[in-house]
Amino acid sequence: MEVLLAGLEEALRIDTFVWISGGLLLGMLMGSLPGFTTTMGMSVLVPISFLVGDPLIGIPFLIGVYKGGIYGGSVPAILISMPGTGASIATVFDGHELTKKGKARKALEMGLYASAISDFFSDIFTLVMIVPVAAIVLGFGPPEIASIMFLSLVIIAVTSTGPVIKGLLMLCLGVWFGLIGADPFSGAARYTFGTSQLYDGFHLIPMLIGLFALPEIFNAVKEGDQTNSSIAKFVGEHLRFNELKRSLRTIFRSTAIGTLIGLVPGLGQPIAAMMGYIAAKNSSKTPEKFGKGELDGVAGAEAANNAVNGPTMVPLLTLGIPGDAVTALLLGAFMMQGLRPGPTLLETNGEIVFAILIAMVFANILFLIIGYLTIPLFTKVVTIKRSLLIPVTIMLAFAGTYLARSNPFDIVTLIGFGLVGIAARTAKFDVAPMVMGFILGRELEYSFGQTLALVGDDWLHFVFVERIGMTAVVLVTPIVGIILGTRMKRFRQRAIEREKK
Amino acid sequence: MRAYWGISFFIGTFLLPAFFSDNLLAQEQYPEKPITLIVPYAAGGSNDLNARIFTSFLDDYLGQPVLIKLVPGQAGQKGTLEAVRAEPDGHTLLFTDNYRDQLHRYTFRNNAYDTNTDLITIARVNYGAIGIIVRNDGDYKTWAQLEAAAKSKFGAVTMSHSGLWVALFVPAIQVMKDLDLQLRMVPYRGGGPAKAALLAGDVDMSMAFPATVAADVEAGRIRILATAGRERLIPDVPSFVEIGLPPTTGFMHRVVMAPVGISEERVMILREAFSRMQQEQGYQRMMAQLGENTEYLDGAAYEAVRVQQSRDYRELAESLIAQ
Repeated sequence: MEVLLAGLEEALRIDTFVWISGGLLLGMLMGSLPGFTTTMGMSVLVPISFLVGDPLIGIPFLIGVYKGGIYGGSVPAILISMPGTGASIATVFDGHELTKKGKARKALEMGLYASAISDFFSDIFTLVMIVPVAAIVLGFGPPEIASIMFLSLVIIAVTSTGPVIKGLLMLCLGVWFGLIGADPFSGAARYTFGTSQLYDGFHLIPMLIGLFALPEIFNAVKEGDQTNSSIAKFVGEHLRFNELKRSLRTIFRSTAIGTLIGLVPGLGQPIAAMMGYIAAKNSSKTPEKFGKGELDGVAGAEAANNAVNGPTMVPLLTLGIPGDAVTALLLGAFMMQGLRPGPTLLETNGEIVFAILIAMVFANILFLIIGYLTIPLFTKVVTIKRSLLIPVTIMLAFAGTYLARSNPFDIVTLIGFGLVGIAARTAKFDVAPMVMGFILGRELEYSFGQTLALVGDDWLHFVFVERIGMTAVVLVTPIVGIILGTRMKRFRQRAIEREKK
Repeated sequence: MRAYWGISFFIGTFLLPAFFSDNLLAQEQYPEKPITLIVPYAAGGSNDLNARIFTSFLDDYLGQPVLIKLVPGQAGQKGTLEAVRAEPDGHTLLFTDNYRDQLHRYTFRNNAYDTNTDLITIARVNYGAIGIIVRNDGDYKTWAQLEAAAKSKFGAVTMSHSGLWVALFVPAIQVMKDLDLQLRMVPYRGGGPAKAALLAGDVDMSMAFPATVAADVEAGRIRILATAGRERLIPDVPSFVEIGLPPTTGFMHRVVMAPVGISEERVMILREAFSRMQQEQGYQRMMAQLGENTEYLDGAAYEAVRVQQSRDYRELAESLIAQ
């Protein structure tokens, strides 16, 4: 408690907040550029934090970039259906539909409020629970991760829009796309047809832009400049207070989901956002509105992906273990300031660590303000004439794709998946399960392979004693699948009946 | 008003840069424009961080900024190929390590390049000496115990590593070959997760650069059983030579290379800049804070090391293929 108060004193510095604001703004701008990921942004800005030489400036600055970047990714997702990262896939579903209906401002504001609120609470959770939670984090090894991935895949398959069989087909297709490339254990090439281009497999960013943005552009071109065009010309009204109030339950639910997922190293934002979205849809009174421009959908996805940020700091600070590239960069930044994340950090530098965590909590207020001020800037996009917006969107799609890793082959991937997206839309297949199959399939394969390598001769002991958590999740999976599946079926029938009336 | 903005926009975007670049070309000096440093790894790794540090100092000695271009992919082949194919005018350099430099020819067939004939060393920036680590409360307190267990039966000892053919994997297969023992290898995505697996008790041993586990050793959670090299790095911990390994095993060298064909003069300018930079105190302090040493080696001296490595790794690769 004393350390906490001392930390609070340290954190209340004006220059700290100025730097956080700078970081947030940079992060939002970078995140809103499709193809420019938060990791890339932070990697470019990390030397700045080295040079300022004060841990209470350099690190909060980077944390600002991180927070801003994750939120910034939702901007192109909402406005032009272009998710720049896996974290904003679920935001597209309802966010872009809202833009089409002329409610872009409402969608962006909901995204901002949901992100800031969930960030705030997950940061407080991190701050308060960092010590007790650190012990639990290590309990999640490859077997547990594999079982959670498996559960997530089943949930996504049964809750996709449209018939379950279509969702399942798309999911399997996605998993297969994920298998293309080097086998992660032997390095052997799979389905690459002897080309070196496919050795790394398909890259996620061109796939996302191709599947979500290109069909949208194609539609817009096809429709021409009609009045009821798919890209509306107006920004719409502000979000009303009671609309936010109605979504508060969703925001808190997603915050809890995101925080839990953030605690398990290696799961990450795409799963959190998707699970937050599915949970929101499942507990909604009007689930049939999801995917057609429901504010609650944006809240569910955006709250969940931001809630992941805080808890990823737990394994980093207490164990010195970075869970992903972003936390690896933060690890470097801490070390450059003479702070060595690990079991001794809280004892030796508790004050500074808590000061940083407290600054992180306060940063969310700035996040809200800066985010609010930048919304008018972003919404300008919507008011651009369509004859200009469409070419600019096409350019962004290709430039963003190339920017991600400067690989010309990614352009081919983009066009290929663009065609897949258009075909899927025409045949009324949902591409979301495919993308999630692609992301999760690879991870499931990897963690399952690791699990197989870990099992010794005594597999019975492994399954029923050592890794009982994994076994429990696997056993629960079919039950969850059946319950959710029947619920979704009921929802669909109800929606059909309502339409008939 | 509109026309005014149009004209100033035109001047700003086209004429001003042209003016500046003409001016620079007129000096006819190397380096005449920013240097691109290709880093064939993804963002966030230790090589990325190392590169960010030295490039922020190097521009003082070259008079031009050094820009990092991350080209990850195909386990580093993509970035390497891009460097090999670049114009050998000294404006494109590569930041790589000895494993990628020497093992690609064996681990990837149909390689489009041969690093030994296509790349020349500018400088070795620093190196990491690997250590064998176990949990402090685990079954093995000394290397002898662990070695005996690993020899007793295949799969008795599990080891976490950070991915195929890189920093932890290569020393591990060298240990297996030279000491004739078998470890059950479990891959993880990077050194952090590999260490987490050890701490969680999922595996029996791992490897790490001592600086990355210093906090855990202090806290009494991790024990180092042996460290690379001839000499002991830590007083009570045997060196690799003492446990029967060659003195070269377990060193990861971080090197800057240039495509072959670069003029001798420019190589000298670059080597000179690196050698002066590594004496700067600010640079040394920053590297120390990251837990890296500044054991600089001139490009020419490293080329000799490289020849030796070339032989060692060929033997290693051939013994693996023979299996």
